[in-house]
Amino acid sequence: MSDQPPTLAIEDLSVTFGSGHRTVRAVDGVSVTVAPGEIVAVVGESGSGKSVTSMSTLGLLPPTAKVGGTVRVGGVDVTTLDGPRLRAVRGAEVAMVFQEPMTALNPAFTVGWQVAEALRLHTDLSRKQALDRAVELLEMVGIRDASRRLGQFPHELSGGLRQRVVIAMAIACEPKVLIADEATTALDVTVQAEILDLLRDLRTKFGMAMLVITHNMGVVADIADRVVVMYQGKVVEQAPVDDLFARPEADYTKRLLAAVPRLAPGERRDREAPEKETAALSLENLVVEFRGKGGSRVRAVDDVTLTIAEGEVLGLVGESGSGKSTVGRAAIGLVKPASGTVRLLGESLGEARGRALRRLRRHCGIVFQDPASSLDPRMTVGDCVAEPLVINGVGDRTERVVALLKSVELDPALRLRHPHELSGGQRQRVGIARALALDPRLVIADEPTSALDVSVQAAVLEVFLELQERLGFACLFITHDLAVVGRVSDRVAVMNQGRLVEVGARDDVLFDSQEEYTRRLVTSAPVPDPTEQRRRRAERHRL
Amino acid sequence: MTRFLLKRIGQAVVVIFFVTVIVFLLLHSVPGGPAHGILGPKASPQAIAEFNREHGFDKSLVQQYWAYLNELFHGDLGESYTLNQSVASLIGQRIPKTLVLTGLSTLVALAVAIPLGVWQARRRKGLADYAVTTVVFVGYATPVFFLALVLVIVFTQKTQLLPPQAPQTQSIAGLFADSRALILPVLAGAIATIAAFSRYMRSAVLDNLAEDYVRTARAKGASERRVVWLHIMRNSLTPIVAMLGYYLPVLFSGALVIESVFNYPGMGLLFWNAAQTSDYPILLGAVLVIALATVIGSLLADIVQALIDPRVRGTIK
Repeated sequence: MSDQPPTLAIEDLSVTFGSGHRTVRAVDGVSVTVAPGEIVAVVGESGSGKSVTSMSTLGLLPPTAKVGGTVRVGGVDVTTLDGPRLRAVRGAEVAMVFQEPMTALNPAFTVGWQVAEALRLHTDLSRKQALDRAVELLEMVGIRDASRRLGQFPHELSGGLRQRVVIAMAIACEPKVLIADEATTALDVTVQAEILDLLRDLRTKFGMAMLVITHNMGVVADIADRVVVMYQGKVVEQAPVDDLFARPEADYTKRLLAAVPRLAPGERRDREAPEKETAALSLENLVVEFRGKGGSRVRAVDDVTLTIAEGEVLGLVGESGSGKSTVGRAAIGLVKPASGTVRLLGESLGEARGRALRRLRRHCGIVFQDPASSLDPRMTVGDCVAEPLVINGVGDRTERVVALLKSVELDPALRLRHPHELSGGQRQRVGIARALALDPRLVIADEPTSALDVSVQAAVLEVFLELQERLGFACLFITHDLAVVGRVSDRVAVMNQGRLVEVGARDDVLFDSQEEYTRRLVTSAPVPDPTEQRRRRAERHRL
Repeated sequence: MTRFLLKRIGQAVVVIFFVTVIVFLLLHSVPGGPAHGILGPKASPQAIAEFNREHGFDKSLVQQYWAYLNELFHGDLGESYTLNQSVASLIGQRIPKTLVLTGLSTLVALAVAIPLGVWQARRRKGLADYAVTTVVFVGYATPVFFLALVLVIVFTQKTQLLPPQAPQTQSIAGLFADSRALILPVLAGAIATIAAFSRYMRSAVLDNLAEDYVRTARAKGASERRVVWLHIMRNSLTPIVAMLGYYLPVLFSGALVIESVFNYPGMGLLFWNAAQTSDYPILLGAVLVIALATVIGSLLADIVQALIDPRVRGTIK
């Protein structure tokens, strides 16, 4: 493959934003080539410059960006083009698939119109012909009933279907280069696996050069032929995918790979599950309903029965809309169940009112997904952590706050800062400190590390597990990331469409499940190992 | 959609019913009752009793309300105390003229404000944007009567390009026959509206420019013009349409200040004169009409929004 002249050749690309002494060099001397039919993955954490690199290949950077170096597509330097000549390249020679399929499509036009537009911008097909071709394209990307879908609007489609539409739009003019920028990040694992399969098929069918931008090492292992690792705007390593995972050379690559949580029987905490009789939390036949369209009732949680023993960590996994977060909220009375009971430390939450309810809640801490929005931007870090102490009238607060910040390995001096002055990882540590302020006996952690980069995630998980071990609180750990669940849990519960699929010991559920849904979920989660990933892919296709 | 329409119309009917109740009660809370209003403060008790009996004001409130509703249904809004004419015919004469004035001003305003807002959004934080923003803010902050006077001075006194008074005619055709005289009132009405709508448009376009779908459209190879006037426009018009719906009562109630400055025979002038002569039936009739326009305006805005935005359409099935 590499003998052919590259379809896409990025040479010595540098991108800077701003001017004078406030210049930020987002991309610094990056060179990447992609041969026809080759899939090259660019990986890196946030701020590595990977997305800026992909944007520059289409000239999509804001006007404030200064671009140096060359980006050649089929021999033509894109960075020198402007106006109509650049537009002739966009969509026709190089096409792009974006991260968030909901916002990537225009909400005001039908999907058929939007796919047809891609065609009509570059060909002289009539409206009718373009729509006919759009049907074919939608079928090609695996959308059944394509002619009906044509007239639908983006909000009427599921996330997976929307991303297929975006892909159909991208391949409409059979581009030489397809760039997928975090194209599967916003999707559930089972959908992600299907979209990766689709991209692989399209590569074979059209022989496109594909540049896959991602932060997910599992995706890299699944789809890439070759990998480019970026860090702080620079390429730190380039290697064929098998070599990179087997023999990483750059220090950063080694650190990155070490930080990625792996879903494997041995990858777990070194401890025995506590065997206690008393339950920290027990849910019996829990049902939660929300009001849906036109007054109908939607069951978000349907007849779920679960118990978490004192000191135990229960991982609750499921895809979006499975009801896992709602279970977490119902567990501490933030949403009212339609029926069923919730018992916290043996006392029924449904019967507790006023002071009794607050007393019960004192024993619970909660950590939310997005630390940026779950901390009050106008309060200092110290005030955020102290708030539960204030509400519950605990004196001696400064000392306690200092101790809490130390316990999550933050400098106590940070307590005078505001949340926006902290990094994402630091903010989530503050969130954990706040949850632990009242020495809870149960902590609900709802996707606590999902918004973080892998290396940060690894550190935050480490702190969290160390504290759990030391303080012995029970934990309901809600996440969509199976590798994280495998790392932290004593037992695992799987939810799908509001129902509990199964619950059991970690290894039984993750590696020896009898439930088809669980097996599909587990095999869909890509692992950061190309050989193993090929095996799992084959296994998933057999299911 | 049909269900949504029926539901919204049903809500509108209920709101209008409450409006009639309130207007009716207002009519009865006129100091000393309607008799005092008409016969004057010096009327003798006998004359008042006679008047009340004659007009049915001695009956119970419910009976009176029923009679009032009954009259309303027949288009009878009562008689003006001062103009010897029925309120319905007065309003009927004035509304078309007011609509010509306010409708034209709004059209002119939209025709200027929408492109202006888009133009500014695309030059955000540039010199041109700041310059236009300054002018627009001055236009927004200037009281309408002052603006109207400035226009009169500049165009009728200094340059004598245009007549200072609006067309004085009974018919709509007459208004247009003397169309030069319409220019100043329409312009005075349009300037403040341009200021408001162009700000709305500017911020709506700015919000949409940052959306991901704009990047997608550019990545497809769409030209900047296409991105702005097709992709962004459809999404930016929603807030403008909502604004317009709430603007409808203004169209009906007329531009009080402009009508009095230019002596334009519309609703605003009628209302203003009635207020000065305590002509309550006219005031309340006008309130009722404006309330109706408000309800209908928000209904229309909802429907047009549903036509523009498929997501709204989806939720109102």
